[in-house]
Amino acid sequence: MTAETARRFHALEEQAHEITAVFAAHNYEPVAPAIIQSADVFLDVLGESLRARTYVFTDPDGDELCLRPDLTVPTCRLHVERHPSGDVRARYCYNGSAFRFQPGGGDASHPREFRQAGIESFAASDREKAEADIVAHTIEALRAAGLEEFNLRIGDLGLFNALLAAIGMPERWRQRLRNNFWRPQAFKEELYRLTTAPGGAALGLPKELIDAIVPDDQRKTEQVVDAYLARNNIELIGARTLGEMAANLASLAKDARATPLPPQEAELIESYAGVTAPSRAAGARLKDLMRERGIDISDALETFQRRLELLAKAGVEVSRCQFCANFGRSLEYYTGFVFEIESPVLGDGIAVAGGGRYDGLLKAVGAPYDLPAVGAAIHTERLLDAVRGTGT
Amino acid sequence: MSDRLILAVPSKGRLMQDTLALFERAGLTIRKIGDERGYRGEIVELPGVDVSFVSASEIAQFLKTGRVHLGVTGEDLVREAMFKVAERVQFLLPLGFGKADVVVAVPDCWIDVRRIADIEEMAHTFRRVHGRRIRVATKFTNTTRRFFATRGVTSYRIIESLGATEGAIVAGTAEMIVDITSTGETLRANKLRILDDGLILPSQANLVASRTIDWRPAAREAENEVIRRLETVVPEAPAEEAGAD
Repeated sequence: MTAETARRFHALEEQAHEITAVFAAHNYEPVAPAIIQSADVFLDVLGESLRARTYVFTDPDGDELCLRPDLTVPTCRLHVERHPSGDVRARYCYNGSAFRFQPGGGDASHPREFRQAGIESFAASDREKAEADIVAHTIEALRAAGLEEFNLRIGDLGLFNALLAAIGMPERWRQRLRNNFWRPQAFKEELYRLTTAPGGAALGLPKELIDAIVPDDQRKTEQVVDAYLARNNIELIGARTLGEMAANLASLAKDARATPLPPQEAELIESYAGVTAPSRAAGARLKDLMRERGIDISDALETFQRRLELLAKAGVEVSRCQFCANFGRSLEYYTGFVFEIESPVLGDGIAVAGGGRYDGLLKAVGAPYDLPAVGAAIHTERLLDAVRGTGT
Repeated sequence: MSDRLILAVPSKGRLMQDTLALFERAGLTIRKIGDERGYRGEIVELPGVDVSFVSASEIAQFLKTGRVHLGVTGEDLVREAMFKVAERVQFLLPLGFGKADVVVAVPDCWIDVRRIADIEEMAHTFRRVHGRRIRVATKFTNTTRRFFATRGVTSYRIIESLGATEGAIVAGTAEMIVDITSTGETLRANKLRILDDGLILPSQANLVASRTIDWRPAAREAENEVIRRLETVVPEAPAEEAGAD
């Protein structure tokens, strides 16, 4: 990759100035977390897929460190360091370098070193208001930097969760579908499995073991497992306990005896995942879909509507905003509302900015429990290209 | 750059002995030049070839960066050492020795985990119970990530292991491992079991060509001669393009 010119460097500095001025005007406190982060916490939070794209190294003392691949996690850590309970309302903004390995060295849209400008809002109790603010302030910053044309796309995991909750099935099946939501192919396969052979996973297990298990009696199940291990002369090693294995076997045994998910329920979940429409129309369409099937997710739908109203009130052109039920952000830490902004100059799939809600992140970096957290980040090199009309 | 062909062979252990023996059988006598403890050599019958004795994992690096034309090393090491394997090297000939499988192994006591598909749900539960992700000890970090990514296993962390990987679980530094095995003996001794579909890559020593080095006609000729002679002695193997990127 070529070095950037001094002129481009100054242009980015100037743009950062415009962006942070907007954030500061909305009372986001500017922070500058460390570029070098301890790898341990960071990677445990983000998972191995982002680790594969993170520059990890060992310092002379043997400690594992990394160059931060984003600024959201460092900002969360900063907040928890200041307020160990985490539940203090706070708004932060930042502008700084982030680093990601790109196989082959990267290109203009995927540089390995780039600057992220962003905002985070923690512990805000009015969730939809906080989400609408984040989107509105991000757009205001993009406009201040000179971006005129852009497309806004939103998604809502809250709707998906509500839909799963409203359909009768064991909680662990919901958990499985949630875990796989990010991977469309795996999601489809899981859904198919639940409607055809939910007990498939137990097939490779010794039948005598599965048959002996009493699913709702953890103690009895543990005894069965213990006896099985002793009989086969298998020693217990590692961090997973006998209780964990027994609990997992109990769910497998339950699945082996469960009635499959009715096809019409699976079909409903698939129709939901297929909804892509202008956001207001999408709300109406989902309402109709649920009414036809006699499914009540009215609370989640009201939340969705209320957020749209708040977005409109905050000056976002809701009429041009696209809702996509299947909208999967590449980072699995999002837990609710998600959004992404693309520029027609750069083309599809290359976001200028994006963000959403991630209520589990503060806990993952040390807060005692889940806390409301929502934020957004702007990819500033892409923004500069989009503003100048020099997309690739 | 001269017209000579540079061939890298393993510098120690079984892999070196097997390489030298195979070349010998093919009528290619590899001999050290100068001191026995040195790292330069020649093929007596092919004067246009320079031989370098290099450690097997370094050979993969040399092939990637174009420091040598040909190398004898394990397919597992080559695939671990680089992205975009097909653009950088070509596997010319499996040599029938140095056989080792890269596999996913778990504690034998995990009677509820038999297949790759069982890992993900167990890993999510583990994270809820223990407050951290499940750890996979391995020295094949890239291979592991690529394999798990294609199988939908996401909720884990890799712990880089430089040796005695199979001991990581008892040592308490990992919950499962990805490692090489030839007979499975060491895994069994450490109370580990290979998952039913846990074979990531069946590997063996290969003759590998670099695509990133300058190939002069004379080097090509020498390469063809090496391949021609080796083909007469390597056990017949189905010509399949092994493994995936």
